[in-house]
Amino acid sequence: MAQPLVPELLRAHLAELASRDQRADGRGRWEGRELSLEVGVLDRAEGSARVRMGDTIVFCGVKFQIQTPYPDRPNEGGIMTSAELRPGAGRHIEPGPPSPESIEMSRVVDRGIRESGCIDTKDLCIIPGEKVWQVIIDCFAISDDGNLFDAFGLAAIAALHNATLPGERFDIGEDRKFPVNKTPIMCSYQKVGGRFVYDSNREEEVGGDERIHITLGEGDHVHSLQKGLKGVFTASEFVEIMEAAKVRCAELRKLVDSM
Amino acid sequence: MGYGDVQMIDENGNRVDGRKAGDIRPIEIELGVVPVADGSASMRWGTNYVIASVYGPMEAHPRKIQRQERAVLDVRYNMAPFSTTDRFRPGFNRRSREISKVTSDALESVVLLELYPRSKIRVEIEVICAEAGTRCVGLTAASLALADAGIPMTDMVVSVASGKINGIVVCDLNKEEDNYGAADLPMGVLPNTGELVFLQMDGDLSPSEFQEAWDYNMEAALKIHVIMKEAIANKYGGGQ
Repeated sequence: MAQPLVPELLRAHLAELASRDQRADGRGRWEGRELSLEVGVLDRAEGSARVRMGDTIVFCGVKFQIQTPYPDRPNEGGIMTSAELRPGAGRHIEPGPPSPESIEMSRVVDRGIRESGCIDTKDLCIIPGEKVWQVIIDCFAISDDGNLFDAFGLAAIAALHNATLPGERFDIGEDRKFPVNKTPIMCSYQKVGGRFVYDSNREEEVGGDERIHITLGEGDHVHSLQKGLKGVFTASEFVEIMEAAKVRCAELRKLVDSM
Repeated sequence: MGYGDVQMIDENGNRVDGRKAGDIRPIEIELGVVPVADGSASMRWGTNYVIASVYGPMEAHPRKIQRQERAVLDVRYNMAPFSTTDRFRPGFNRRSREISKVTSDALESVVLLELYPRSKIRVEIEVICAEAGTRCVGLTAASLALADAGIPMTDMVVSVASGKINGIVVCDLNKEEDNYGAADLPMGVLPNTGELVFLQMDGDLSPSEFQEAWDYNMEAALKIHVIMKEAIANKYGGGQ
């Protein structure tokens, strides 16, 4: 499938733009694409969100199941995150079992949510040692024009804030709001034309190098990091994107908390 | 509880959602909902929500799938994990494979595949929210997405199902009705000729009930076709 010539031309083009401090779609270096966030959009999910960033569109649905707790944590529920890159979301996506890319995405989103402690797994206990809730966060790409990581991360935390525990359906008390007490936010940066930019689109992904994903919680606490794809970066580059992430994460947190 | 134990139609002939026997659920169509696809359409039909996207015609690879005289259609029907009340385990199962196949067979009957030898057209149907009749919504949405992609077809495909509840034949069953339904007759109709490209049935219908269900489907298909033409005219202009 690889067409070596075209990406080389694209890379050269992106590098030339970067040398003039420009991006292919005219954005500034730390500028995100136009963003919209809606919650409660899926009738069958207990919590849901739809995120659109430019031409990237994703859904996230939160579902609950009853499970038996792990023996070493008898009073804690479970969290599971999945990310599906359906072939409908882009011509570059092949049908088949979950790709390494989609597994990486789901695990990075999962870590940001899990490690931030925004879900207290003890809140998910129904009968210690017997019955606990399992929260399932399903991320689903509709249209992939780049940076699915951030779209999934944002949709996931917004859907969790929107979720209701379906007690009545499982005959364990009344429905109640699912307690989520923090808002971890992921921001992703990719090296394009020799410098890091925020929210790379598909063109920049194809013609770019390594990515760095940063999930920040309240007070700029770091909850998850991931370096992906081939490439090297320096400590000073990292400091630079960390500063940019602090600003952007705070903006997005305000947006999610206002829903 | 089994068939007929629950009263789904009152003495005035009103169904649980207030419809009469021959009425369809509300339908909303939007074209071009997947910006990266060559053509796409979403259909909200009752609380069903289905997105279909089309890629191609493009090179068919591996070469062994190529056909010298026509394009191949690659159709996939899939349910999102959050599309059902109990979480739907992701991945292909026997049901989705069968629906993909019959949907593909239906679409192959209308798409002018011979115009694109050795190429492939991908049709992806994603059920985002399932109520009842997702295969019908998927097939109809797929034909809209193909039209949005500008792929020549002899006709649109309009798919709708009728069934039986409490011994009464009704059109376009919703979720509650489907749970207690005693029969289901989904059809795929070509609205301009009245021909059929898709037909399934399960349950128990007498000859007169069967005829009634058939007639409801034909009537509903024409109504839905009007909504489809409106959606296409809204985006592309032109006459009806």
